Amino acid sequence: MRTQKGTLIKDIKRQKYIYLMIFIPLVFYAVFKYIPLWNAQIAFRDFKSVRYGILNSPFVGLKNFKEFISSYYFWNLIKNTLMYSFGKLLVSLPSAIVLALAIYECRRPILRKTVQTLAYLPHFLSWVIMYGILLSLLAPGDGVVNDLLKTLGKKPIDFLTNSNVFPFLVIFSDAWKEMGWSAIIFIAALMGIDVSLFEAAMVEGATSWQRVRYITLPAIRPVIVIVLLLKIGTIMEAGFNQIFMLYSPAVYNVADIIDTWVYRQGLLDGRFGLATAAGLFKGVIGMLLIFITNYFSKKYTDNSLF
Amino acid sequence: MNKRLIVVSVLLLIGITLVFAQGGTEPTAKSDGPTKIEMWYNATQTEVGPLPDDWVGYQILKDRFNIELEASSLPSSTTDQDMKIQAASAADTLPDFFVANREVWLRLANNGMLADVTGLYEKMPNRTGIMFDKDAISFTSLDGHSYGFATPAMISRNEGLLIRKDWLDRLGLSVPKTTDELLQVMKAFTFQDPDGNGRNDTWGYGAFIELTTYEAYPGRRFEPLMGAFGIEGTWNMTASNFGLQIHKPEFYEYMKYMKTIIDEGLIDPNWMAYKKDDFRAAWKQGKFGIMREQNAAFAAKNNYSPFDANFPDGEWIIVDPPVGPSGKNSVGPETRGLRIWSISAKAAEEGKAEKIAEMFEWMASGEGYLLCGWGQEGINYTLKDGIPVTVPGELGFEGPVGQTYIQLRSMAFNYSSDTELISRYPVYTTDVSKKQMSALWALREMQGKKWTNSMGADSMPVPSTDLKTFYEQGLAEFFTGKRALTPENWKSFIAEFDKIGGTAWEKAGLEYAKANSYLK
Repeated sequence: MRTQKGTLIKDIKRQKYIYLMIFIPLVFYAVFKYIPLWNAQIAFRDFKSVRYGILNSPFVGLKNFKEFISSYYFWNLIKNTLMYSFGKLLVSLPSAIVLALAIYECRRPILRKTVQTLAYLPHFLSWVIMYGILLSLLAPGDGVVNDLLKTLGKKPIDFLTNSNVFPFLVIFSDAWKEMGWSAIIFIAALMGIDVSLFEAAMVEGATSWQRVRYITLPAIRPVIVIVLLLKIGTIMEAGFNQIFMLYSPAVYNVADIIDTWVYRQGLLDGRFGLATAAGLFKGVIGMLLIFITNYFSKKYTDNSLF
Repeated sequence: MNKRLIVVSVLLLIGITLVFAQGGTEPTAKSDGPTKIEMWYNATQTEVGPLPDDWVGYQILKDRFNIELEASSLPSSTTDQDMKIQAASAADTLPDFFVANREVWLRLANNGMLADVTGLYEKMPNRTGIMFDKDAISFTSLDGHSYGFATPAMISRNEGLLIRKDWLDRLGLSVPKTTDELLQVMKAFTFQDPDGNGRNDTWGYGAFIELTTYEAYPGRRFEPLMGAFGIEGTWNMTASNFGLQIHKPEFYEYMKYMKTIIDEGLIDPNWMAYKKDDFRAAWKQGKFGIMREQNAAFAAKNNYSPFDANFPDGEWIIVDPPVGPSGKNSVGPETRGLRIWSISAKAAEEGKAEKIAEMFEWMASGEGYLLCGWGQEGINYTLKDGIPVTVPGELGFEGPVGQTYIQLRSMAFNYSSDTELISRYPVYTTDVSKKQMSALWALREMQGKKWTNSMGADSMPVPSTDLKTFYEQGLAEFFTGKRALTPENWKSFIAEFDKIGGTAWEKAGLEYAKANSYLK
């Protein structure tokens, strides 16, 4: 042991900058990810306030979990959460890949940079601002889109309060906002492809689509799989900020997700134990999904997170 | 190297976790310095900035009472306020002194987060004499102990049903008296181009969703319509017909009336998406001709100016709420509109309660009262016949800068004195149309209309979050057509509502109303 310890200290001295570099991420994870785990026990307690201590709050076992699962809205919350998560995954991931390919294939540098910049700017807008923009565009009374529909003799659509339209609005507005930002990682992957492969393919007479199909997409497949795996881990995160800004009672049936329910139960109704139980439930589901998808990814694609 | 790196990482992680997980609270330092009081207030004017750091009141409190006040404005939306206070309560970071609505106050009081202030009333003789009568004290009492000070947050009956008289005149219509006549006027305002601009861009009614605990979905902007069917407010507070309004047969009749307005496109179609500011911008842009609005939001100089500039010939008049099929009418339920100032239990333990009482009393009388209500004499106001009058320019208490210095006005005013009202709502001449206006005139007219006495309705038990969601969602779905409004569907909706807690909520309400003598 003494020898090992001595070696470790020597190693730290020798590689001090490497160890220093890991210190900041470690502090981050400790403070924001591991310490809060202590508070997760609130899910098993009848918690009122830190003032009386978490440990002094009565232990209630799985009562909060049972209450969440037997809530009138439980299945609706699960359905909506998964609908938005998968919907966003199905729309935003391919659209980001397509955008990345389009930018990569664009031969005019100015156009490429302009498109790329314009595409990722919406990422920096908050959902409060996005709500204002969407209201201006889609308001049934005087929104630009509805004005256009009325000019064409069509009936206006109440995008924000129609439960048939609302899910599409959520999914596509999210794709619009995040597509450019998500494309960056794929553009980076594309930049790493050996150019000689394209040159050889062109010599062989491959069309643009064939080059994309047989060179580009296979080359970035590992990145796509990793991104997909990471997104699966947060599949129960359907986008609180977005839905919270856009929803109203008229569309609760298709808009209410676990996070908005947790917000109302926890922060507005003061039922922190119940809200924490719902949050913990989400985390466990996400972790299980990561393990399952990672297993299948490793088995069938040779790509995995761990 | 990899293994070593992992070992070091894990050790560091554990070390850091243990260090930070110790938590604990800072020991309260005892010193002879000023008593620091952190206060969260509700800004009187949400449109302008917070109380500036150079407010002279800070120095007076320090010199006179040895208090170092740190005042922070709560968010303007009551939902956001509730969230902020609830989160602070859970983390035990409540400020020393803060304002909240009764729902939040009740949760905090039941959780032991608030100080018992029963003994402090006698230390505030002036404020108690003006504001805290028996009803106000019982509003904040649990088991005979008071856990907060219920202060008036608004002027009673300060809203009214308004209609565009210039549109009525242009279309040759008279002021509608009944719900049927109101419907006809809405149709005319929607389809007969009342503003004469040649475009189909106006609607009969304008509103947005604005709910309180005592007002039924979709909220106070529709209360004059509900009043016509006798189902205004969440609760019917009469002894003979007590209960949730949603259980009354007239509620279905009101729903049918609302559906007609919505289905025929007589209401600004943005009403469900509007926030308060959008709604107020909309009437100033001439989008609709009938609304329920607050007196100052309608008639105060700054608020009326954009409408005056856009429509110099435009004219809103305050009308009687329409009479419904069974002869009923009402602008809406009337309560005292109290909000509660509380001292946190932690602040009381740190010996701050009496200091807070001293400060609260100072704000209600003499120098503090004038300073909170109108600012500094000679800078923000001048006295004329004993009534503060705003000075011209930005620093006047009605000016954009001057308004920031009176953000604590609601802590001082009791809203019943004519001096306050005359000063607050002066007569003025509009910039463009040169009309003579006063928000006080509007207030007096609104107060003269028929309201429903619903005292106590704002302290009734509140439903669970799921039941509240079911209630609001269900009614919204009837309005949007997701649920067809038929007697069968309505009956099954009410049955489901009762099943998930509606009956229990009503029963709890009856017990509470009886116990507190709220039934009339």
